[in-house]
Amino acid sequence: MVPEAKLSHTAALILQAVSAGCLYGFSVMEMTGLPSGTVYPAMRRLERDEFIRSQWEQQFIADAEQRPPRKYYKLTRTGKLALESSRKRYPLLTKLIPIPEEERV
Amino acid sequence: MTLHPAIHLLHLAVLRTASLLIPRHQRAEWWREWSSELWHVRQARAPHREISIPVEREIAEFCFGAFQDARCLRAQSGRIRLPRATTMGSATQCLLLLAGIVAASLVVAVSLPGVREQFDQLRYRVAPSSIVLIRSVHSTDDSAPTISADQFRLWKGRRQQLFKDFAYYQVVKEFEWKETSAHSTINVAHASANLFQLLRLPIQFAGPDANIKANLSGTIPEVILSHTLWEREFNADPQIAGQTVHVGKHIAVVAGVAPKGSWRFPGKIDAWLLQPDSAMSSSHDGIVIAEMSPSSLQEKFGDHWRMTAPTPDGTPDDFLCLALAERTYSSFGIFLFAVIIAFLALPATTSLPLGEYRIGLQKLSWPTRFRRWTFLSGKFALLLPVVYLVSIDLAHLRPSLDQDTSDYIQLICSFSICLFGLRWALRDQRQRCPVCLGKLTHPARVGQPSRSFLAWNGTELMCMGGHGLLHVPEMPTSWFSTQRWLYLDPSWQVLFADSALTSAYF
Repeated sequence: MVPEAKLSHTAALILQAVSAGCLYGFSVMEMTGLPSGTVYPAMRRLERDEFIRSQWEQQFIADAEQRPPRKYYKLTRTGKLALESSRKRYPLLTKLIPIPEEERV
Repeated sequence: MTLHPAIHLLHLAVLRTASLLIPRHQRAEWWREWSSELWHVRQARAPHREISIPVEREIAEFCFGAFQDARCLRAQSGRIRLPRATTMGSATQCLLLLAGIVAASLVVAVSLPGVREQFDQLRYRVAPSSIVLIRSVHSTDDSAPTISADQFRLWKGRRQQLFKDFAYYQVVKEFEWKETSAHSTINVAHASANLFQLLRLPIQFAGPDANIKANLSGTIPEVILSHTLWEREFNADPQIAGQTVHVGKHIAVVAGVAPKGSWRFPGKIDAWLLQPDSAMSSSHDGIVIAEMSPSSLQEKFGDHWRMTAPTPDGTPDDFLCLALAERTYSSFGIFLFAVIIAFLALPATTSLPLGEYRIGLQKLSWPTRFRRWTFLSGKFALLLPVVYLVSIDLAHLRPSLDQDTSDYIQLICSFSICLFGLRWALRDQRQRCPVCLGKLTHPARVGQPSRSFLAWNGTELMCMGGHGLLHVPEMPTSWFSTQRWLYLDPSWQVLFADSALTSAYF
């Protein structure tokens, strides 16, 4: 049984953004409109609480595209369940950051 | 666009500065993510590397947001800081406590006149090793005047092989001349003119043409005032040299002022009245100070030795010669002596090892070991000024005590405080976690004395940072004689309040 997640609106917004395909910090900032000083620490907390999981991109991929490697974030199973319950609590989440069609099915 | 690399470097510098605010063990990760994100922010906003104010403002906002990240992170880590029990026993607090004691004892020291005088004395050298004090063997007090003026004149008039020169002074208590009252008394030393030269004592405010010997043929003698008398009676007048003043019942010309703390010889003196040898009173005894000739090696005589010399009535008598350098101990010399004795006595009172840390394969990193030894050295370094200042405060707490009593009190206090202080420093070090240097807490009794042959019994202490457990045997056995440290691996961290810093030390 997954414990009832009590996420703040900001944390829920970030989870929604990650769920919507914003897989790294800057894209979450762009999608949510939150400043960097809010997004990155919040993502660290979400990662610490195991709602999201981060992974550094392989170096050879970044080298091939001549850019630094990125750190990607992904929802965990707990994160997905917490987001589900947050959507019930904050119904406007899906309207603020709509989930692409392919993600829903 | 030559401006572009410069702006990028500026942004990186901002991020690097922000990263310094991040706890060390997380810094590399944050710096990596920020610098990576910076590249992508620029790529998203200015894909063709064009420079525009709105874009640069947006990128700058991203960079300065890193400071907010760092502040937020520090606030988070601050909330999960050590619990109070461990914080109270942190290494920093221990050193701050010692520094506080040093500061408090220094404040007490500067408020005590006797201690201030001792500090003043540290500025001056003691008499050269060739200077000796001569007294009669019939007296036991080194400070007591035992030599008559006739005896001094006899020695000075004879051709000497052992001694190069003699100086002499008689201390007489005289009423202080004042227009308003004549009730207070001062100690006036009737001294031979070469006293200050022989003792190599400095004289303040002596005029450029002042020659102490020069005016002796005149009718008015010269006087050297003590610093205390000069301040008290002459309002510390820097133009005092050359003025004619009343000193006791005498009228004299001021030749200068003896600097504060420079006089460390027998007698508490307010003024030195310089007189010809023939003017010394035969009714008082005085103190003879002699300088040995370079040809007579002092080493073969030692610190004190007896000699037989003729007396004015023609019969020989015995005298004791005391090396003045050995007699005039400085407070710092007493302190050094006590510290050396305390260090020598330490192994007899406590075990010196800091603890046996053999259990477990995990080894401490060099910086952690260095930190541990630096902490111990810091404690010792702060302990020494505590010993010196507290002992000198206690020795001069009562101004009525004479110098010898004060010296004895200082010696005993220095030794006691130093010995117990060193014992405490070692004991405290043994009761600290070797990793984070926090005070170990939660002592628990383990085992039973009746089962000593089957299992150990003693006390188990715990590091609140989760670094390990300390096992202190109550009854040393051949297989468990000293305390042992049991390292806990990171899997135990979840049990402890301050597990965030655990990995940083290995």
